[in-house]
Amino acid sequence: MGDIQMIIQAVGMVFSPLNIAMIFGGLVLGMIVGCIPGLSVTLGIILLLPLTYSFPSADTAIIALLAVYVGGMYGGSISAITLNTPGTNSAIATTFDGYPLAKQGKVKKALDTSLFASTFGGLFSAVLLLVCASFITKLVANFASVEYFSMAILGISLIAGVSGDSLPKGVLSGLLGILIASIGMDAITGVTRFSFGLDTLKFGVDMLPAMIALIALTQVVQKLRDFVVSHGKLDDANKIDNEGLTLKEMKAITPACTRSSAIASILGAMPGVGGGVAQFMCYNECRRASKHPEMFGKGSLEGIAAAESSNNAVVGSAMIPLLTLGIPGDGVTALLLGAFILHGIQPGPTMFTKQGVIAYSIILGCLVANLFLYPIGMLLTRAVAKIIQVRYTYLAPVIIMFCFAGAFAATGNTKELVLVAAILVFSYVLVVLDISSTPLMLGMILADIMEMNFVTSMMSYDRDYLIFFKRPISCVILILTVILVISMIRINKKVEALNKAQLEEMQKEHEETGKPSEEPREKGTDWAGLEKLDEAAEKPVESPADKPK
Amino acid sequence: MKVKIKTNLWSGIVMGAFSIIMLLLLPTQVRVPAYDSGAPSPRIIPAICLVGMLICAAALIIQSLVFKKEKEFEFDWAVEKPCILMILMLCVYTAMIIYLGFVIASVVIFPLMLFYCGERKPPIYIFTVAAAVGIFFLFKFVFHVSLPAIPFLGG
Repeated sequence: MGDIQMIIQAVGMVFSPLNIAMIFGGLVLGMIVGCIPGLSVTLGIILLLPLTYSFPSADTAIIALLAVYVGGMYGGSISAITLNTPGTNSAIATTFDGYPLAKQGKVKKALDTSLFASTFGGLFSAVLLLVCASFITKLVANFASVEYFSMAILGISLIAGVSGDSLPKGVLSGLLGILIASIGMDAITGVTRFSFGLDTLKFGVDMLPAMIALIALTQVVQKLRDFVVSHGKLDDANKIDNEGLTLKEMKAITPACTRSSAIASILGAMPGVGGGVAQFMCYNECRRASKHPEMFGKGSLEGIAAAESSNNAVVGSAMIPLLTLGIPGDGVTALLLGAFILHGIQPGPTMFTKQGVIAYSIILGCLVANLFLYPIGMLLTRAVAKIIQVRYTYLAPVIIMFCFAGAFAATGNTKELVLVAAILVFSYVLVVLDISSTPLMLGMILADIMEMNFVTSMMSYDRDYLIFFKRPISCVILILTVILVISMIRINKKVEALNKAQLEEMQKEHEETGKPSEEPREKGTDWAGLEKLDEAAEKPVESPADKPK
Repeated sequence: MKVKIKTNLWSGIVMGAFSIIMLLLLPTQVRVPAYDSGAPSPRIIPAICLVGMLICAAALIIQSLVFKKEKEFEFDWAVEKPCILMILMLCVYTAMIIYLGFVIASVVIFPLMLFYCGERKPPIYIFTVAAAVGIFFLFKFVFHVSLPAIPFLGG
C-alpha cells in the first residue's frame, strides 16, 4: 500500500467520533496538568495510560496520549502568565514576557498570544513530521535485529549521556533500568532472574507500575511536601480580562513564531533536547532578530510567541526519531514509547510497513490535536486557569487513587501495588543520591527491545558477539553513538551556559530597573529529577520584570 | 537537622556495593538452562549491566575523591519529613488496599493525610471520600476492572 493510500485511510480513522472525543479530552487533561505548577505532562500521560487499555484500538490510545502532550505544553503557559510560575519547565521563557504583560492588565492578550504561538508551533512540526517520517523510514528500511540492537544502544546512550549533570550517574541509571527490566522470567530460556524466591518478582517488574511510582507519585508527593512546608499558601493569580489578540498583532508575531518553530523543530528532533532547552535558544534568536529587542522581558508579544511556539514545535519533531527509529528524545517521548509497546506497536521503520495506517493516523492525530488546540484553548483557558486556585489537597488524593487504581488495572494483580510502593521508596533513595530517573525509565522501556534483538542476532549469527561490529550499518550506528554522545554532551553544556547567561542577563536588566525580585520558595529535594521539571515548577522564575512595588 | 550528602561519593559507594552483591548472587539467582537452545546465556545482559554499573560507581568515587568533583545534597529533616511520612503513608495504603480493599484504604489514609497537611474543613474530607467511592465504581462499571474490595463493598 502506498503512502497516499495509507494517509487516506488514516484520515478516516482519525476523524472518527471516538478519536475526536479523545483528542478533546486529552487536550483538556493536558491543559489541566500542564497548568498546575509541580505537575507535568508526564503525569497526565501516566494517569491516562492505564485507562487507554479499555480503548478499542491502539491508535485511539496513542492519539489521546499525544493530545495530552500537546495540551500540556500550552497549559504550562497559563500559570506562567497568571502566576509567574511555569506549569512545566518548557514554559520558563514564557514567564519573561507573559507575566510582565499580565501585570499590565493584559492577561487575555498574553494568553491568546501563547495559544496562537502554541498552535502555530505545533502545526509546523506536525507537518514536518508528516513529511519526514516516510522519507526517514525508507532510509532505514533494511535494518535487521543486529541494527535494531545497535539503535537501542544509541537511544539509551544518548539519553543517559545528556540527562542530568553527570555522565557516570546517567549511564548507571540507564543500566539499572535494564537490570530491573531483566528481573523475572527470561522469555527465551524460561530461566527466572533475580526473583529471590518472591512471587512478586517472579513475573518481572512491569513498566506501568514503575512509571507510576517513578514519575507520577513522586511528583504528587513532592507537591504535597511543598504544600505542607508552605502551610498551604496559594499565590495570587491575575484575573483574566477581555482584550484578546488582534489580527494585526497576529500578523506581527508570525515571523517570530516561524523562526522559533523552525529552530525548535530541528532541536526537538535531536534526542536529549526537549522543550526546556529549545525555548531559550528560540527566545534568544527571536530577540536578536526582532525590530524591538528592547521590549523583550517587558511584556513583548514576540517574546511570548517565541517561547510558546518553540515548546509546542518540539512535540511534533520529538516524534520524528521516536516513530521512525524507535528512539525517544526525552522523558515524555520515552513514556510514549512505553505506551506504544504496551499497546503492541513497535515504533521504528517496520511500523510504516507493517502498521502504516496506524503510524499515519498517529501523525495525523498529532496534527489534528494541534489544530483543535486553538478553539479549545479559546473556549476553556478561563476555566482551566481557575484550577490553579483549587487547593492542591483536593487534587492530590484523587491523583494518588487514580495512580494506584491504574497500576492495579494494568494486570489486575495486587503485586503491581506492592511494586509501586517499593519503587516509590527506591525512587526517594535515587533522589537523595541525585541520580536521575529518566535514564532508568528509558532503560526499562528499551531493555526488552535490546534483549530480544540481541538474542535474535546471537541465534542468527551463531553467538558471534562481534557481529555488531562486523555488519557495516550496525558498526556505523555504534560509532555514531560514541560520537553523538560526546558531541551532545558538549552541545548540551554550551546550551546550558547560554541559558545561564541569558537568565543572568535578564536578572541584571531586572536589577537595573530597581524592582524587587521574589524570594524563591523553600526548596527541598528535587524529587522527580525528571527533565528538571520540578526545579522549574517549584520556584517562581525571577523574570526581568517581576512584581512591581 | 541538616546533613550534607556528597552525592557522587555516596552514589559510587551504594551502587558499587549493590553491583558487587548482585554479581556475587548472579550464579545462584540466574541459573543456566539445562539444555542448549542456541540462545545466549540469560546471565549475559544482567552481567553486562552489573559490570557497567560497577565501572560507573568506581568512576563516581574517583571523581569525588581524586578530582574533587562533587555535588552536595542538603538533607533538611524539616523539609524532608513530610515527604518521608507521605511515602510511609502510601506504603501503608498499599497494604490496606490489598487486605481491606481500595475504598476502605482510601477512606482511612487520605483523611489522615489531609489532616497532616493541615486541612480542617469538612468539605475536603467529604470530597475525598466521595472521590474514593466514585473512582471504585468508575473502574468497575466503565473500565470493567474490579479494584480490590472486601465482599460487602463490591468485592
